[in-house]
Amino acid sequence: MVRLGKTLLKEAANGIGKTLSGVLACPLSKQPLRCCKETNSLISDSIGVSYPMKDGIPCLVPRDGKIVGGDDNDGHNGDPATIQSTD
Amino acid sequence: MASLQFGLSSSFASLPTASRFRRVSVRCSGDRQVLFNRIAPVYDNLNDLLSLGQHRVWKRMAISWTGAKEKDTVLDICCGSGDLTFLLSEKVGPTGKVIGVDFSKEQLNVASSRQNSRWRACYESIEFVEGDATDLPFSNCQFDAITMGYGLRNVVDKKKAMQEMFRVLKPGGKASILDFNKSTKPFVASFQEWMIDNVVVPVATGYGLAEEYEYLKNSIREFLTGKELEELAIQAGFSMASHYEFSGGLMGNLVVTR
Repeated sequence: MVRLGKTLLKEAANGIGKTLSGVLACPLSKQPLRCCKETNSLISDSIGVSYPMKDGIPCLVPRDGKIVGGDDNDGHNGDPATIQSTD
Repeated sequence: MASLQFGLSSSFASLPTASRFRRVSVRCSGDRQVLFNRIAPVYDNLNDLLSLGQHRVWKRMAISWTGAKEKDTVLDICCGSGDLTFLLSEKVGPTGKVIGVDFSKEQLNVASSRQNSRWRACYESIEFVEGDATDLPFSNCQFDAITMGYGLRNVVDKKKAMQEMFRVLKPGGKASILDFNKSTKPFVASFQEWMIDNVVVPVATGYGLAEEYEYLKNSIREFLTGKELEELAIQAGFSMASHYEFSGGLMGNLVVTR
C-alpha cells in the first residue's frame, strides 16, 4: 500500500525517483534526459526525442521514442537539464 | 535429476493442441519481445516447476560472483519478473540502488506487482525501466555490478549487449551472466535436448506452451559455448572473463571484469 502510494505520487509529480536520478540517459545518444511534466515524458534534447513514462516506468526502448515537434508543447523550452529527482 | 530453467515464451491464451508443432517465428528482437510478454503470467511458476526450485540457487550463485555489496549501484539486465533484482536489493540494502531493465512491459508489470505486494526496506531501492539490452538507457560507468539471468541467449546482437555492459560498468566492476550452457560434450548436449523434449515439453503442455518449445532448444543450439562467450567478452573490452559450468554442465555462468 505504501509502495503503491509512492508510485502514484511519483506519477503525479511526473518525476523520477532518487534511484534513477543521474543514472538514466537517452538510449540512443547516451546524453542526459530532461523530465517534462506536461507530457509525463523524458526528453532527449541532444537528438530531439521524447520517451513516455507509463505506470511510473520509464519506457526507454529506442522505438518508444517520438520526435519532438518544433513548436509543440513537449516542454522543449530551455537548457537541457539532468533528470529531476522528486525526493 | 538435473533441473532446467525454463526461459521460454508462449501464448498464454490457450492454443489448440493441433498446433503443437507449429514453428513460432522468434528470429528478430520484436518477435522475442512479443514472446516474453505472452509468457509473463506463468513465467515464475514454470521456472520453479521445471527447475524443481534449483533456479533460486543458481541465481544466488550468479549474484555472489558479482561481488555486489552494501550501498552499491547495481543493474539487472533482462530482469523479467525480477528474481535477480530482488536478490540484488538484499545485497546492496536500502542505501544502495538497484535498477531492473527489460524490454517486456508485461514482465516489468509482474515485477512491479511483486515489489508492491510485499514490503522490505531494501525493495525501496529498486526501480524498473523498460529498455533494450543492446541500447542501455544509462550514462557511462554507472554501475558497480551487473547481472543478466537467462537473457543473453535471447538477445539477437550479443556482441552489442556485451559492449553496452562494458560501457555502463564502472572500472573494476563485474558482470555475472547466467544462462543455459551450450556444452561441447555431445552427451551433455544430447541430454539437455532430451530433457527439453521429455520433461519440459510435457510440463509446458499443461500451460499451453508446448508449441513454443522449439525456441528453447534452438536458442541453446544457436548460443555460444563458454569459450566463445569468454572471447566475446574480451573483444568487448573486458579485462577478465571466466565461464563456469555447473549442474552437470547444463547451466553456465560467465563472469567478466571491466
